[in-house]
Amino acid sequence: MKINRKSPTAAQKKNRPQVWQIILIAFFIFYMFLPILSTYIFSIATRWDRTIFPEGFTFEFYKEATDASYFTTSLRNSLILSLSTILVSLIIIIPTVYWVNVRLPKAKSILDILMILPFGIPTVVLALALVQVYNGTPIGRSPVLLIGAVFIYSMPFMYRPISNALHSIDALTLTEAGQSLGASTLQVMLKVIIPNIYPGIISGSLLVFATVFAEFTLTKLILGARFKTFPLLLVEYTRINGNIAAAFSVISFTIAWLASLLILWIGKKGQGSSTQAPHAH
Amino acid sequence: MAYLELKNVHKTFGNVKAVNDFTLDINKGKLVSFLGPSGCGKTTTLRMIAGFEQPDEGTIQLDNEDITIVSPNQRDIGMVFQAYALFPNMSVRQNIAFGLKMKKTPKVEIEKRVDEVLEMVRLKDTAKRYPHQLSGGQQQRIALARALAVRPRVLLLDEPLSALDAEVRVALRGEIRRIQSDLAITTVYVTHDQEEALSISDQVVVMENGVIQQVGTPQEIYRAPQTRFVATFIGTANQFFGKVGGESEVQCSGLSISTRKLSDFTKGQEVVVLVRPELISVNTSQPSADAGNIIEGIVETVTFHGAVTRLGVHMNQQRVVADITVNSAESISLNQTVWLSFKPEVCKVMAVAE
Amino acid sequence: MLLLTFETCHPIIILMMEMIKSKHNKSELKKWLGFFPFLLFCLAFEFIPILFLIRGSFIDKTTQGFTIAHYQAMSRTVYINSFLNSIKISGLTAIIGVILGTLIGYAIYRWPSESLKNALISLSDVTTNFSGAPLAFSFIIILGMNGVITQFLFKYFNYELYPGFSIYSFSGLALAYVYFQLPLMVLIIIPAFVGIRKEWQESAESMGANNFQFWRFIGIPILGPSLLAGLTLLFANAYGAYATAFTLVESQLSLVTLQIGFMIAGEVRHDPGVGMAMAVLSLFIMGLSIAIYQIATTRVRRWSK
Repeated sequence: MKINRKSPTAAQKKNRPQVWQIILIAFFIFYMFLPILSTYIFSIATRWDRTIFPEGFTFEFYKEATDASYFTTSLRNSLILSLSTILVSLIIIIPTVYWVNVRLPKAKSILDILMILPFGIPTVVLALALVQVYNGTPIGRSPVLLIGAVFIYSMPFMYRPISNALHSIDALTLTEAGQSLGASTLQVMLKVIIPNIYPGIISGSLLVFATVFAEFTLTKLILGARFKTFPLLLVEYTRINGNIAAAFSVISFTIAWLASLLILWIGKKGQGSSTQAPHAH
Repeated sequence: MAYLELKNVHKTFGNVKAVNDFTLDINKGKLVSFLGPSGCGKTTTLRMIAGFEQPDEGTIQLDNEDITIVSPNQRDIGMVFQAYALFPNMSVRQNIAFGLKMKKTPKVEIEKRVDEVLEMVRLKDTAKRYPHQLSGGQQQRIALARALAVRPRVLLLDEPLSALDAEVRVALRGEIRRIQSDLAITTVYVTHDQEEALSISDQVVVMENGVIQQVGTPQEIYRAPQTRFVATFIGTANQFFGKVGGESEVQCSGLSISTRKLSDFTKGQEVVVLVRPELISVNTSQPSADAGNIIEGIVETVTFHGAVTRLGVHMNQQRVVADITVNSAESISLNQTVWLSFKPEVCKVMAVAE
Repeated sequence: MLLLTFETCHPIIILMMEMIKSKHNKSELKKWLGFFPFLLFCLAFEFIPILFLIRGSFIDKTTQGFTIAHYQAMSRTVYINSFLNSIKISGLTAIIGVILGTLIGYAIYRWPSESLKNALISLSDVTTNFSGAPLAFSFIIILGMNGVITQFLFKYFNYELYPGFSIYSFSGLALAYVYFQLPLMVLIIIPAFVGIRKEWQESAESMGANNFQFWRFIGIPILGPSLLAGLTLLFANAYGAYATAFTLVESQLSLVTLQIGFMIAGEVRHDPGVGMAMAVLSLFIMGLSIAIYQIATTRVRRWSK
């Protein structure tokens, strides 16, 4: 006796996306891409406020944008801020996380709490607190204070990937192996641990870079006009010239895309998971 | 009278034939194991009985009712999974009560039955706990209780012990067998562990590549394997490849093995002679000819296995293993020359091209 | 307030207790020294300023004495409105984000092709970090007075978006916030769907439950903690947002973060104590959300063991 059943079974149904799925995902893609796409087009459109499609295309606004006063200064300031934050972050976070993992596991829960706390502090509140305390001191309203603030704000982004990477290599066993061969803890960290967790280090650094490069709140409220970074310039131009602001936005988006794609690429190669951490805007 | 009947069941995934022409009758109240290596189709067959997969061809009957296309929630079947199948958001009591609740059993009755099955698996005091507060062994016992609470017509167990520690595994399989025979519930037990299958089953179904290799009691499966796969998968067997030389003789390379009468084979046919290691005697001096087949070799390895000691003996390009008692192993040392002997009656001869 | 101070000090208290315990053991104490540089940074740029902020919110500027006047000032309409607006926009976009994000996350989770699935997860990873001025400006381009969608609706549907709607208003800001809330929820909920084991569905089915009963009794309760974690995280995410709001609705809509910003920049003449009181209340609201988030994720982790 043979029975042939050709009605779709559960396994067959799985192979075909269903209408509700297509609708939801199409909506999602539309929502995520429309603003960005429009900004890219707007930045190269001669005029796009009277018609559905741009009236013409030009790269004039990029020229104007790069010619704008403060353009290079602000890019330079943003770079200085992000790179010095990354540096401070690396110097402080890597040894701390390593030390806690290998020598002080008791402190692990404390470190975890400390790393989630910045998410519970709105950036404006952090800015207010810092300005209040340090006003009148030598570091009040100085880039040092800003770097300190940005470090606190961005440290969870450095912490997650490095902590994950340390977990995945079993740092304790490696350290014990290194020490049994005669290396000091410092030597083990520099020669064994860091080379093995570098995908995590790169991911963390890129995340901090993307976060700090786009940082607006702390910079504006702590230093204001004294230290004009790229996001500050962008906001200024949204009120002066829309086309140039669009060109700035495109530059900003592109940097963020590149950083994210690099992180994803590294994440796929190594094992450090990327964001997954909560963040404040 | 068969209670659960599978008739010519076929199942294909993509272009892999997972189950090929599976026909089996299971009697009421019996515990039947499906045994085989991973990917042999045992789990797929179980899942077809449960209704999670549907056969491409063939029928499944339970108590004279065709359930081939009945959906899983209408089949009255209890299932225990490999691990982690307890609902983490529910307490032990709620987990066990779930099936009864689905059947709209009255509250009082539910309470009574939950207590009953908890008693059965001897975990009465865990009723209020949550799965993550239990050990792996306890979780599986609760999973068993949960499957039994609805008094299913058939109990299906899918490698229920494979995620547990060795010690717990042995204790729990005894427990499963005890409960199964107390309730006389028809049970299908899937495992890749031969010891497990042999120790608890009424019947064992050995499978390979989606095909039933042999069905029999544990004793039959071990003592009288019908295929080379069964003989080597269940327990250990020495294999001597050769050709049929005479009416009770196989010619292997540089060695002639006497066997029982080879009436089923033709002269020159390629065969394999299988001999279990515990049926081989080890002699430190050459034994007399009535010991049967005698092979001279050099002891290469001596491994202690607890109850027995296993010798690995090298004889012209082949390694033969033999199990001896611990006492007799004391007189044997590495690189010593020994004579292995086994009677023609213990040789199992099978054709090679199956 | 005491609770808040305690919360901030909590890690430090644990630390000190641990150190006292290890007082007699020199090598133990030495180990704690390795933790110090980092702790120093946290103290300097996080804990001490915030403790001073809390203290400052209770101090009268002229008399230097203790006062609760700054908190009493919170009952003025302008401050009440800021808090209401902040909570409304965070709550609304968090709820929209959770509902839509869960549905979209489920659609992605069930999508048959792995490559599109991964691409959409990567997209969420990237877009949830897009925020602030560039995002706000993008929304002006599409939904501003002369925006692409505004014109599209007018030309093809003869529908005039303005003045009924404005991108520089509450609803406009909500649209921009949902932009980064949605992908964040997708990222939170997909692992939760992955965590629902096939065995749970199958055991429920073998015990007689249908699909609806599975989701009602098992699926949704198991997703519960993840949904709660998502809701609180999204809420905190929107509540603390500043740059997006500053670009879009600087003076049109009163939000807590904007108000505090004005006070720091000295753009409004207020007693700084009032700003500090607002900041402390915000810390409290955010701290509560993050605490619930932590508890919920602990439960998720325990269940997915």
